[in-house]
Amino acid sequence: MIVLGIETSCDETAAAVVTGEARILAHHLLSQLEEHRPFGGIVPEIAARAHLQHIDRMIDRSMTEAKVSFADLDGVAATAGPGLIGGVMVGVMTAKAIAAVHSLAFLAVNHLEGHALSARLIDKVPFPYLLLLVSGGHCQLLVVEGVGRYRRLGTTIDDAIGEAFDKVSKMLGLGFPGGAAVENAAKAGDEGRFRLPRPLRGRPGCHFSFSGLKTAVRHAIAALPPGPLAEADIADICASFQAAAGDVLIDRSIHAMDEVLALRPETRTLVVAGGVAANRYLRRRLKALCADRGITFVAPPPALCTDNAAMIAWAGIERLRLGLTDGLDFAPRPRWPLDPDAPPAAGAGVKA
Amino acid sequence: MKILALDTAVSACSVALWRDGGVRARRYELIERGHAEALMPMVEDVLAAAGERILGLDLLAVTIGPGAFTGLRIGLAAARGMALASALPCLGVTTLEAVAYGIPEAERKARTVLVALNSKTEIIFAQLFLADLEPLSPPLALAADGLARDIPRSPLLIAGDAAGLAAQRLTESGIETALSSAPALPDAAVVAAIAARRWRPGQALPPPSPLYLRRPAAIPAKNGGRR
Repeated sequence: MIVLGIETSCDETAAAVVTGEARILAHHLLSQLEEHRPFGGIVPEIAARAHLQHIDRMIDRSMTEAKVSFADLDGVAATAGPGLIGGVMVGVMTAKAIAAVHSLAFLAVNHLEGHALSARLIDKVPFPYLLLLVSGGHCQLLVVEGVGRYRRLGTTIDDAIGEAFDKVSKMLGLGFPGGAAVENAAKAGDEGRFRLPRPLRGRPGCHFSFSGLKTAVRHAIAALPPGPLAEADIADICASFQAAAGDVLIDRSIHAMDEVLALRPETRTLVVAGGVAANRYLRRRLKALCADRGITFVAPPPALCTDNAAMIAWAGIERLRLGLTDGLDFAPRPRWPLDPDAPPAAGAGVKA
Repeated sequence: MKILALDTAVSACSVALWRDGGVRARRYELIERGHAEALMPMVEDVLAAAGERILGLDLLAVTIGPGAFTGLRIGLAAARGMALASALPCLGVTTLEAVAYGIPEAERKARTVLVALNSKTEIIFAQLFLADLEPLSPPLALAADGLARDIPRSPLLIAGDAAGLAAQRLTESGIETALSSAPALPDAAVVAAIAARRWRPGQALPPPSPLYLRRPAAIPAKNGGRR
């Protein structure tokens, strides 16, 4: 089985060709960072324009490198939501068109399911497993029971964790995007220098909150002497912030492990996925937690944590095996929760 | 020559199949939204009605704008995707041309043609053509209020879904106008006819690019995203 995957839901234009044996035959990605950087964040219309300009070239390169012709494919999978809808539509229409030419299966993939199943592309992790999904748009703990079957244990009630990294980076003048910048600056920092809050730590449940932490960072910066920030201050703030964010992830993951033990005691794996899962400090801490608790820790390599098309192709393969194909009339979904039955989290807004 | 033509750029969604000098199958729907859902099933309907498949065609054609940003990208992404997977050439036609070519020849005679399309903002997309449809101006994005300033003072035949508004503003400024009886929106059948005139069999084409005429609405951060 061979599937072409297409990802255009945020600021990466990506295509990949993946086999049913979990071999990534080709994988091409174009980051639009330089186009968005002057705006200090992602501009949806700029993203959509760039996706249209580049996606066919990414697909062409991937097909050539994989030495596969369109007629050899079993299906075409595209991220069909959630995400910036203008870009999602470009990927979905491209995929539908390719599928129509060669009468291939079309697979409308939930971007979050792409992240959720990426561990099975790397490690053949059996269901069920606990998933910590951490990115610029999401922060959730879920039980992955099977393809298309998710039980949400907790979500952020305000900002996503990646958003908090971006905002701290912006406050410190480290630019956009902030994840890697904050992580790098933190390496030389003293995480004990600034006393920052650990929102919701010790409270029951598995929800997250990062807005208070972000505000505390703002106050800490304001309390520093006027003028340009010293390198050491920047490093200490980053380290203190990252440590606080890590404590929150650990505390909430422990709650989730306890909850899942009661619900599905056979769950012995924690998977961390999403762009923030590329953060090596957070990976180290979660790995140590899993070692303490006798649980297997799985994190895809960083290139498969951030947005990519290989995970979309793989989710397409998992769905195609179960016959979960979609019609060419599929409507892209700007909002698409993995667990639609989860009760709304107070204040979670669109990110739930 | 067999051509499949698409349009999703404005408030309509249409697909047409051209074969042997005429349109053999056509679907046309007036829809404000939902083009991403409607388009490919319409393509499959049209192909089935004409007894054709994409791999047996000679050419694809699509409107490139100006129009709704998301709408024109839907048609372009589909057309470019089909072109990539079939190795067929794909020709881009502007929405303004598609409306202009819908005007009956007798109506155009000895007149300057203005096509005016609604952008859903204060801007009108406009282009002037001679009676034989030779372009007299490039495609323009003009403020409705300043229309008279940018348009020559000669009797005008106006077509497009902003024709009424344009005529009103131009008449106020003393310009003689008449409204065309042509369809106010692009139609894939007309797109196919234009493509049939322009494309030489065997001619390779670069992928068609969108014609937005307007920049994305975004304000650069004061310091390039830095503090």
